[in-house]
Amino acid sequence: MNEPIRVENLQPLDQPYLMDEAQLADYEASYRNDYHAWAQVLGENVERIRRGSYSLHWLNTDGGNWGKRAKPSSRGLTYTDINRVRGYGDIPQRADWFNFAPRGSIREPYRDRMPVVTDYVVTNRDELWADNVITLYEEAKARQWNATKDIPWHELEALPEDLEKATCQLCTFLTEVEFVAGDFPAKWLYRTPQDFLEVKSFLATQLMDEARHQEVFRKRAIAGGGLLHASPGFEWALKAILDAPSHTMGTFLLNLLGEGLVLSVFRSGEMIAKTQVDKEIFRRCLQDEARHVSYGVLELKNYLATHPQREQGIEEMHRFADVGEQVILTAFTEAALIEPVAVLLGGGLKHIDKGMEGLAHMWRMFIDEYLQRCASAGFDRRARCTIPLDLPWGVAK
Amino acid sequence: MSAAVEVMKAATVSFPSQAWFQQLADQMNANRARQEQLGYVDCVAQFTVLDGGPGGAPLAYRVTFEEFSAIAVDEVPTRELGVADFALEGDYATWKEMIENIVDGHGRPDLEHSLNRLSHMGTPMKLVSTDPVQADCYFRFNQSLQEFVNACARFTTVFGR
Repeated sequence: MNEPIRVENLQPLDQPYLMDEAQLADYEASYRNDYHAWAQVLGENVERIRRGSYSLHWLNTDGGNWGKRAKPSSRGLTYTDINRVRGYGDIPQRADWFNFAPRGSIREPYRDRMPVVTDYVVTNRDELWADNVITLYEEAKARQWNATKDIPWHELEALPEDLEKATCQLCTFLTEVEFVAGDFPAKWLYRTPQDFLEVKSFLATQLMDEARHQEVFRKRAIAGGGLLHASPGFEWALKAILDAPSHTMGTFLLNLLGEGLVLSVFRSGEMIAKTQVDKEIFRRCLQDEARHVSYGVLELKNYLATHPQREQGIEEMHRFADVGEQVILTAFTEAALIEPVAVLLGGGLKHIDKGMEGLAHMWRMFIDEYLQRCASAGFDRRARCTIPLDLPWGVAK
Repeated sequence: MSAAVEVMKAATVSFPSQAWFQQLADQMNANRARQEQLGYVDCVAQFTVLDGGPGGAPLAYRVTFEEFSAIAVDEVPTRELGVADFALEGDYATWKEMIENIVDGHGRPDLEHSLNRLSHMGTPMKLVSTDPVQADCYFRFNQSLQEFVNACARFTTVFGR
């Protein structure tokens, strides 16, 4: 008879060795042979410490902004409050600090000894600035919520199988898309220099929002039956966002178009929710999504308004949108999205046709809102929009 | 899930009226702890009863939200937006049904009577705005706006001016 298996005797599965030897060797070579500044700094520090000598150079405020104290406003101490202090709120038109030295610190004397982070490629403020970004950052922090505790999960009711599957399929779609809505800001957060700290801060809240959305829809699906089908159409739309050639273009595709449509899906989700749990989830999520959409609209507006060759800028955006709209459309025509929405709208699988009629009405609303947002940003897309204004849905004979 | 809210002294207020929206504002302001959980609300919202006035004329109430409070409630003589970011418009019967539903649900509407449910398709309520970014305020603060109207369950509404 075999011995019973005890937990402490379980062996881990074989894992492949993940270290890339060549990458490690490159890293060693860089810091041992190529970069000399850090070793020089280390040598000086060690020498001074050995001598028992203090530097105290940091007490010298020449060239800094010492002594001008920020004062809080009614909400506390916001970025707007500290940016009012001379020397701290000057956001450069073009960033030229490619390291982590804080804007407004005494950093110029050390410029030549600092490393250069070559991944910081978004150097033009107008590639990412939006006039509402500080407001949205404060709002985002104030309106965070917790997918574990703020949703009344204990009230989740079992639905008829068709409605439960439709809800879980919609949640599977939303779980899938929320990953890219986190990866895209993460990609550009990493490429944005520290001097644009307000935008980086907002992008960090967007990342948190999207992590929470992914979490809440995953939880909803698994609590209700399970995740259902991933879809190639979703994936290509998401890849197109991630591959966008510039931050502004990607933000247009993600925040203005993609999240604008997802905001509509959330609003529809709240409307067609079959439980109070689902209603609460969608209402919470649509608030976050609307912030991202607002940032996207005003970023595009600022980009076009400040573009040195505005007509050329608009034409480039049109070229990008001509492709982007079509790729995004692949997701929003997927059966794994529109069919469960139609089932929920109609009230069951038997009423999917009725649901499609409601979806056709919503589709016109979605596209009209998208075009209004474009127009608000100074980007008139009505004549060139490649997404059909009516849901491309034929009537079965 | 709602935090415990402070229940103000029961009042009887007629709808539609400035006093009714002021009562909602007072309820909100008396429950700052809940507002701090929900986060800032910074917008000017207009609530319009399309046929609430004499002879079926529209009646509109403008509520200014700032930080965690409703700082002003005004009756406006027109359904024009003015300084409001957006207006939520509905006829008297729709408003009445929604309020009664929230009261019946002890401060929570059923699935068919949330603000978004009633306004999403443009009927029976309609979201009106001249600018999409301002319209988005309705969505950015939707949970707070929902709880703002949910507070009608904490006092007695009599219908008719």
